Amino acid sequence: MATTRTLFDQELAELKSGVVRMGSMVEQAIAESMRALVDRNNALAREVINRDQEVNELHRQLRERAFMIMATQQPVARDLRLIVSFQHMVLELERMGDHAVGIARAALRLNDLPQLKPYIDLPRMAEITESQVHEILGAVIEADQDRARAIAERDDEVDALYHKIWDELVGFMVQDPANVQRAAILLFLAKDLERIADRVTNIAEDVVFLHTGRIVELS
Amino acid sequence: MITTATMQTEVAPPPLRDADVEIKLDARHVNFWYGDFQALHDASLAVQARKITALIGPSGCGKTTFLRIFNRMHDLTPGTRATGEVLLDSHNVLSPDTDVINLRRQVGMLFQRANPFPKSIYDNVAYGPHILGWSKAQIDQVVEESLKDTGLWEEVKDRLRRSALNLSGGQQQRLCLARALAVRPEVILMDEPASALDPIATLRIEELMQELKKRYTIVIVTHNMQQASRVSDFTAFMLMNQKRAGEVIEFSPTDDIFNRPKDSRTEDYITGRFG
Repeated sequence: MATTRTLFDQELAELKSGVVRMGSMVEQAIAESMRALVDRNNALAREVINRDQEVNELHRQLRERAFMIMATQQPVARDLRLIVSFQHMVLELERMGDHAVGIARAALRLNDLPQLKPYIDLPRMAEITESQVHEILGAVIEADQDRARAIAERDDEVDALYHKIWDELVGFMVQDPANVQRAAILLFLAKDLERIADRVTNIAEDVVFLHTGRIVELS
Repeated sequence: MITTATMQTEVAPPPLRDADVEIKLDARHVNFWYGDFQALHDASLAVQARKITALIGPSGCGKTTFLRIFNRMHDLTPGTRATGEVLLDSHNVLSPDTDVINLRRQVGMLFQRANPFPKSIYDNVAYGPHILGWSKAQIDQVVEESLKDTGLWEEVKDRLRRSALNLSGGQQQRLCLARALAVRPEVILMDEPASALDPIATLRIEELMQELKKRYTIVIVTHNMQQASRVSDFTAFMLMNQKRAGEVIEFSPTDDIFNRPKDSRTEDYITGRFG
């Protein structure tokens, strides 16, 4: 059946590609903020912090565009779900970008201090989180709700690592008050990663909504 | 963890034939012909009492034809034929023994263009009751009530004897509605009732419909999908089949039709992908 809404379809496609572009920027920010920590690279940390402005600007543009499409095209059904989902997704991505900035700031503070311990579980946690972000963008592109549900289930792995890291860092604090500052910064950093994974789950819920029209709770 | 309650993706079927739901008008397997041309194929629709049911679909899909069968308006067109059943409170209105005059009193109609008689405002509303032989006092009362029900009374009470043709388009349409209400119908059929009106007059008609549905059953044909989604409780989507006969493709609560249609043809239509 020939489409009668070529311009509208084009606008939706552009909106979608904007969401994916924003996702890629955030994915890169998360990876680089962790690398700034592990490699003790302050320049990279500052770059992540500065580049967040671009993420924020893209967020603003995409919100504006989504609003304009809704105001001018009166979308319904799958079209409306698509736009509403994208609006929510970009909000989640923007917050993920803020968490990456949080990690970069933590790296800047930690890099000036002697390393408390070798980083093992944190990079593992980051690896899972980054792959979740990458995967969920794929599920958005494909509008694949089964994939989205599977990705959301990996949140349990991230939570388990977070609790392990928590216990370990609290142990360091108890052991020696001199550890408290560094352990506390690392705790906040781990919390940023844990929140990124939670936001992936929120996006997974959007993908399910996109597909079914049902608002679900996947966590 | 995924809860089982959230795994459900199927849209629940509408409670259209539950025992405790009152079906006012029940069209069953209706076929309709204009001469040799079949305009409607096996169309069924269970219209709930005191609800608004919208018929939507592209031009030529048979929605107006379907609507006009409900009070036998097609009788006025030579060479037409209908099969199947349209039960109004369990009586088949298509059967030859139907009192068509009484049927049209029970099932009133509002058309696309307001069609007031070239008479006074009062006489337009009094026309039906007068034919039915009601007393002057009864007619006075019903004229006032009907004009009040359509929100016209305050606007016209001081000029009831003036020509109805001097009213604005929106007022004329509400007058026609008052004329239909005056004979105490049970069902009101509306064929694109607001398509010739400006946006404000359109919204007045839509608000009126919400008031009227407390007492009447309404079936509306509309090309305006926003209107269907705003005003109706149930929506039937119709489409021509390969032989160009209209069919009911999907009939569901309006929320489902406009949010989660089951049939991809419905989704394509309401999202403007064809039609």
